[in-house]
This record gives sequence, structure tokens and C-alpha cells, in this order.
Amino acid sequence: MKIEGEHVFKGPRQAVWEMFRDPEVLASAMPGTQSLKKIDDQHYEGMMNVRIGPVSGSFAGQLTVSNENLPESCTLTVDGRGAAGFAKGVGNVHFFENGESTTLMKYDGEVTIGGTLASVGQRMIDSVSKSMIKSAFETLDKALEARLAAKSGNTPIEFKPPTEAEFAKNVAKDMAGGLTNVAEVRMLLYIVPVALLFLIVALIARGCGG
Amino acid sequence: MAGKYFGQPILRNEDAQLLSGKARFIDDIDLPGMLHAAFLRSDFAHARIKKIDYSAALKRSGVVAVYTAEDFGDFWRPGPLQVPPPTAIKGSVFNARTLVPIAKDKVRFSGEPLAVIIAESRYIAEDAFDDIIVEIEPLDAVNDLEKALEPGAPLVHEDLDSNLAADVVQERGNYEEARAKADVVISRKILVNRNAGAALENRGFVVEWEERSRQMTVWATTQAPIPLRNTIAARMGLFENQVRVITPFIGGGFGPKIMTSQADDVLLPWIAMKLKRPIKWIEDRRENFLATTSERDQVHYAEIALTKEGTILGVKDVFYHNTGAYDPYGMTVPLNTQTHTVSNYRVPNFYTQIKMVFTNQMVVTPVRGAGRPQGVFVMERLMDAAARELNMDPAEIRMKNLLIPDEFPLRTGIIGQDFVEGVLDSGNYKKNLEKTMEIVGYEKFRKEIQPKLRAEGKHVGIGIVTFTEGTAVGPYEGARVTIGANGKVNVATGISTQGQGHFTSFAQIVAEQVGIDVKDINVVTGDTAHFHWGAGTFASRGAAVAGSAIHNAAVKVREKIFSLASKIFEEPEENLEVGDGKVWVKSNPSQSMLLGDLALRANPTRGTIEPGVEPGLEATAYYGPPYGATGAGAVAMIVNLDPETMQVKVEHFVIVHDCGTAINPMILEGQVYGGISMGIGNAFYEKMVYDDNGQLLSASFMDYLMPQATDMPAKMELGHLVTTTPLNTLGIKGVGEAGAIPTPAAFVQAVEDALHGQVEIMESNLNPSRIFEYLQKKQ
Repeated sequence: MKIEGEHVFKGPRQAVWEMFRDPEVLASAMPGTQSLKKIDDQHYEGMMNVRIGPVSGSFAGQLTVSNENLPESCTLTVDGRGAAGFAKGVGNVHFFENGESTTLMKYDGEVTIGGTLASVGQRMIDSVSKSMIKSAFETLDKALEARLAAKSGNTPIEFKPPTEAEFAKNVAKDMAGGLTNVAEVRMLLYIVPVALLFLIVALIARGCGG
Repeated sequence: MAGKYFGQPILRNEDAQLLSGKARFIDDIDLPGMLHAAFLRSDFAHARIKKIDYSAALKRSGVVAVYTAEDFGDFWRPGPLQVPPPTAIKGSVFNARTLVPIAKDKVRFSGEPLAVIIAESRYIAEDAFDDIIVEIEPLDAVNDLEKALEPGAPLVHEDLDSNLAADVVQERGNYEEARAKADVVISRKILVNRNAGAALENRGFVVEWEERSRQMTVWATTQAPIPLRNTIAARMGLFENQVRVITPFIGGGFGPKIMTSQADDVLLPWIAMKLKRPIKWIEDRRENFLATTSERDQVHYAEIALTKEGTILGVKDVFYHNTGAYDPYGMTVPLNTQTHTVSNYRVPNFYTQIKMVFTNQMVVTPVRGAGRPQGVFVMERLMDAAARELNMDPAEIRMKNLLIPDEFPLRTGIIGQDFVEGVLDSGNYKKNLEKTMEIVGYEKFRKEIQPKLRAEGKHVGIGIVTFTEGTAVGPYEGARVTIGANGKVNVATGISTQGQGHFTSFAQIVAEQVGIDVKDINVVTGDTAHFHWGAGTFASRGAAVAGSAIHNAAVKVREKIFSLASKIFEEPEENLEVGDGKVWVKSNPSQSMLLGDLALRANPTRGTIEPGVEPGLEATAYYGPPYGATGAGAVAMIVNLDPETMQVKVEHFVIVHDCGTAINPMILEGQVYGGISMGIGNAFYEKMVYDDNGQLLSASFMDYLMPQATDMPAKMELGHLVTTTPLNTLGIKGVGEAGAIPTPAAFVQAVEDALHGQVEIMESNLNPSRIFEYLQKKQ
């Protein structure tokens, strides 16, 4: 499947870039992340525990950054495998100064999935991943705001990342108008792990864009 | 030939048990000390296995053992060829690559087993999936049937030069000569999509090895208990009578359960013998979609040559058939396609070529219809295209070309799934079509109703097609009929039952001969301890082949009754009558004996017997036809298409079918209705979709839509014609697949008609989006 989109961050490119160099912030945008390690400038490794709805198990992913053209663009390749299946993705990320101290990020890519993710979740992956990316951007917007406030010496703004459960609930709500107790709706969450992988692509992407 | 019992719509013996929840299904079996198996399956469709590390799984509490292909040593080997290659067809190429029980070195389809985990519960076994580290190198997958044969395509089996599994050409007459003489030649590319069997109950396997008695008992959901017993015994080095296969009640077969020599029935007996504990495996729905066989995927390049009056001169059909990653089931499905493409019409010249292709998908074996719907779809689509071209009515062009009774028996010149030249034994094809047109009100619909509804803005269309159903193939079945001292009858046969009503219809056959009520006749199917010869339930052969064997055995028992009673009563046999559980002297009904008492007398425990007399009111008999009996029929359906949503509602469905003699018209109707439901599913709901990487995208009932009661036709009518077959005494032809075979062809034709012929549809599976796409492309 193809993923593409854009997001405007309310902060200068440098600040956004710094945020994405901080694995802890990235992990907070993807609740369930056990680790997100930078191996070197081109390679990252992540482990994610997925315990949402009927899906449980760990998901391991490697991310490679290539074709770096700082600070404008890069290519990302992600390869993740876990009990729920596998995902392989290649994405291109562009990162633009957007005026008035904002930063425009554009991304597009192609993701291949397999296993349960494909056989059970294919139909809903597109919409659920969009919803998850949206939810993650909201978290990152808050994180960026908190970082900028701290930097300027103003009253610190408290940043509390959402818990795994809150995150899952938001996505499910987006998908089905809050009917999280209906079995069919819980099935939607099968595809959460792959959407998380898209997130790795999307988010790390902005890291390299800085 | 209806009698007191035979031919009557008698309520089913098995229903009380089934409807009150007292029937035993495989998952109800619970043995002391039983362990549970789960299969770790490959997510990748095509990959090389580097290493499988299960050491962590063994440490998990409750896990008893884990095995990969390496752990089975010499026991691991590709399975048998379940159906032999078509050597009877000269010049045919067949590359046998039979199913392996568990992937070794290489994975060839998504869902192929990589490891089997044995644990105290299924829950623990599945949790242990997470402990197993599989190092795998993904390879490019092969999915497109035509691209698969192009040079440079990735190879499913690297020891072959290409992905060609088989190439079979059959010809009667000379198509090219016929084509040269034709006024009109029409060529089309026609697609038939892939469908699942989707039985209500998935597969299951329970095995117990009893070390002291050296007996293995297997409970399985198989359609072929005796072949399963034979292969297990051979693999395990046991005698056949050391292995007992029992099929409990089964929730639907539809074809895929005929397949044996898979991971469960190969590996679990070996493991049970090693661990000395019973093992159970119950398939879940996702496994069923991924790793139970399915069918249909074909691409046809078909051509029809006609005179300008619409008389068929010849047909040519070159088609690609997807066999999946292996071809253990030989060529049954594509051979059925060849035999059914032209079987109902007079086609003097016919050229047909199969190119069977290996792909990185699940293995293809028969699913209800088994190649026949494809052949019928192709031919019926060609007829419709010809009717349009020649400005003829679809019914008219069909009527003109249908075979007539005087032509039977007709040798077709085409060798079928039973490796003998097809012979159309009997039938009245034109009458099937006439009666269908009459019941649906064809002329009135065309001339009055449709124009009126169209004027009201409604999109209504009619489809009308004909079909044949090759059924009741050999080799043989057998049965034993025994009257007990309790005055009741036990009937045992080698086939198994998946819901067809055998417990009643077989009892009716026996009741008619021995004069004992159907309720007092106990039918045992699918238990190799009760009857241990036979081939299985497939190709709509249960009623005709096993039924004929049962009839033959019942006739012998009847003869024994008369022979013994004649001696006891000192009356000639012709003076005796049997019925209501007793035998009596016609002229003196008070001189009678209960059949239970006669059964006791037939089994003396002291004294002497006459030479040549066999004990008991018991007989065993067999029946095997020289070739299959061919049923036939016609279907008409009226659909209403919603131009906003593109949803299609079947308003009226008429099927007239001829399966020879009916044993139980009520059960027969149920079979036909069930087939129609499957046909409607195949045409508008059910579709197995693989992506370019060999990932099955429709592995749950969320994405693989089953037709529901509300999707069935608002009005459904069934017409029976009876042309008995000369091939068996009872005159029975099979009917198990009748409804499924013609329905997609009729559906697509009706949708085209509803759209005022604006589009031509040459694929068998539609849905609202697809119809919308056709219309968009047109504009």
C-alpha cells in the first residue's frame, strides 16, 4: 500500500529536527515502544510490545536511512517482523522551511505487509494508519510546544505522552465512533502494529530531514 | 420408481441428534492425557529458510515438544500423488511436485507450516509461536498465471525449468478446418476467480496410539477415510487393520476435505507414537483460508466458430490453470473443465489445452463444482457473445445447439478426471431448457415485464444458461447390510458424510428391499472398522456409487430372507412377502416370522449348515461404473440492479435439473439450494484475493463474504426432470454440485442484461465496485 501525507509543525526546522533526534520523544509518540536505538547515523533498531485488543507480542524493526540530502530529503527503509506478521516499507521524506517559524514535512512511501496483518487487516490498514499518524502528530505537537517553552525560559508546559491504552482507544474511536467494546471493532486493532511501523517511517523521517 | 420408502421425502434420521446438540463433532473428542498441536506457519509466500531456533519455546512451561522438518529425519518426504497423472492422454506433460508435510529449506506459500508445537493446551502451543526465531530470506513470489510462465520468472520449484506443472492438449475433429468454414468467429479472454470451500466446520485431526494393543485410532474430518487410513498405515509401517479412521459428524466438506497427506495427518501420528500420548489439532478459520486447499483460478483464451444461423462449428479453448505451490491432486480440476466446456452442446470440433501453472499460493484441489463451473462459464459466455453478434436471443441460440436424446450415449472424445473417454449416457437437455423458460415465464418477461419495468427506470435483467454435471465416477464403493437379532438393520459403507443426509437416503434404499422402517436402519459411514474398502465422498458420487453398492447388498439380503424363510415355512419363495419387519406366507399371513428371529435362525450355533450357505442375514456388495453418469439442467434468474449502489438482488431463480431417480426429493432439494447459495456466493460475494507477494488478503469472514439468507433469491423454484441413467440399477445420477455449476454464468448474463447490454463482462466474480468500474470504463 502507498502512504503519503504532510504535517506542519509550529516550530523552526532546527527545533523540530532536535526533537526527532531524541529517541525518547519518538518512543512517546508510539506507546508500546520498548526501545528505539540509534545504531549509527544511518541505522536504527526498535522493539515494540504490542498489547492492544486481540494482538499481543513483540515486534522488532530495523530502519535504514539513505540518500541523505540534508536538510531537505532522505529515503527510509523499514523492515519489521513480529508475531502478527511482517512489514517492509520504503519512504521518501521532504522537509521544508515554511515561514513564520513553522516547518512543513511531506512524506510518501510504499509498504508491503504479510502474515496476519495482511490476511486479516489489509482492508482497514489504510484508514487506521492514517488515524494513528494523526494521533501521533498530536502528541508530537504537544512535545514540540513543551520543548520550545522550556527553551525560551517561559513557564514550562507539562508534556505527558498518552499511555498505550489511551492511544489505542483514540485510534479505535477515530475508526468506529467509540464502539470499542464491539468485537468487530476490536478486530480493527489487529492492524495497529503495522500502523506503528508506518509511524516509525514517518517520524524518523523527520529526524533525518533536520 | 418410488416405493414405500425409496423416493419419498422422509425426514432425516440424523436431525434429532444434530438439532438438539447431541451430535459428536471432532472438537468434542477429549481423551485422557491428550496434548494439543499448533502449526507455526510462514508469513512469507516464497522464501528460503535459513534457520529455525525453537530452543526458547521448549523452555516455556506446558510445551512438550517442538519439531521442524529436520527433526523428522527420513520420515520427512514429499507426499504421495493423490490422483495419478493423465497418462491416458497422449503427449501430455505432467510435472509431479507433491505437497511436503512441513517446509524444508524453502517456503512455497504463505501459511506453509514451519514448525509444529505440542503442548498441554492449544493456548500454550500458540503462545510458543513467539519463542521461535525463524531466519528467512524472502524471495520474489509468483502469482500471475501468465507471467509465471515467462522466461526469468522466479521458480516455485527450482529443479524445474519453468513453473509449468502440466500441458495437456485434447482435440476432437479439427478445429482449424471448422474455423476456416465459419461465418463468425468470436474470441474472448475469460477469467474465473478463486473461491474457498469455506465449510462451517474447519478441519480437525485427533490421533491416539495405544502402545499395548499396537492400535492407532484417528478421528478426522476427512471426505476420504479409507485412503487416509491406507496412507497413514503405509507411512507408519503398520497393517491397515492397525489403523482405525473414524469420521464423526462433519460440518460440511465441499471438496477440500478430500485432500490427505498434509501436515496434520502425516506428522501427528508419528509424534503421537513418539510421545505415547493422544494429540488433537483443530484448525482455526485463518489456517483454513491460508492452508486448506481451494479452487477455481483460471485464465481462458477461448474462441467459438459458428455459421451465420448460429450453429456451432467448433470451439477452441487454451487456458491457464493455477495449481498452487504443489500439484498432489493431479489434474482432476482442469480435466473437469475440459470435459464440461462443451458437454451440453453439439460441438463437432473442439480443441482444448491446459497449461497448469505453479504459483506461490495454496494448493488447488476440487471445491464443489471442481472445474465444471469454469468450463460452463466459458462456454456460456461464448454463447452469449455469439448471440449478441448474430442478433439472436440467448435462449434461442442455446436451443439450436443443445444435444438431443437420440444422440445418447455420446462418446465425447475427451478424457476426463476418471481417465476414460467421457460418455454422455442419457438426458433431455432441450426439455430442461424448455421447462426452465416456462417456469420463469421467459417470453413474457422479455416481451412484457422487462420493457415495462425498464420504462419505470428499473434495471432488471434475465440470465438463462444450461449445464451438465459429470458425476458418479468410479472406481467403486462397497457396503455391508446386516439384519440384527433386534430386527433392525445395520448398513456400513466406506464413504464419509459431511451433511448430505446419507443416514436417511441410504436407509431408504435398504428399507425398500428388506421391509424394515427407515428409523430402524442404522447407517455407518466413515469408520474403517465397520467397512474398509472404498475411495471416498467426492465428484457427487455418494448416492449413485455407494448407494448402488448398498442397493446391491440389500437385494442380496432380501434374497437370503426369502431363501431361508422358504425352507422354514416350506413354501416356495414366490409365495412369501416381506414388510413391516417380518416375512409371511401370502396366502396365510398368520404364518409369519419377525426378521430379527429369522436373523437368529440364519446364524446357527450348533448342528450343520448346507454347503455354500453364508451365515446371517448379511451381505456385502460392490458397485463400480465403467464411466460417470452425467446429470444436466438449466437455470434462469432475474436480477434487479440498483443503479446507485450497484447492489444486485436476485428476484427470481429457477433451476430445472435432471439427476435421474431421486432417493429423497426433500434432501435433493436441500442439496440443490445449498449449491445455488454457493453459486451466488461465487458470483457476487466470495473471492480469495492474493496480492503480488502471495499474501492472501481475504483470510477472514470480514473480507471473504459468504452469502447470507438475505442474499438468496426472493423467489426460488425447482423443477425436476427424471432421465434415469442406464449405468446403475437405481438410475441415479449425482446432484451435489448442480446448483454451484451454472449460477455464476447465469448471474453475469443477467447483470449484463440489467445494464441493457452496455458492458460485456468476462469474469466470474462481480461485486458492486467491480460493476461500477465496468460502467466507468464504458463512459
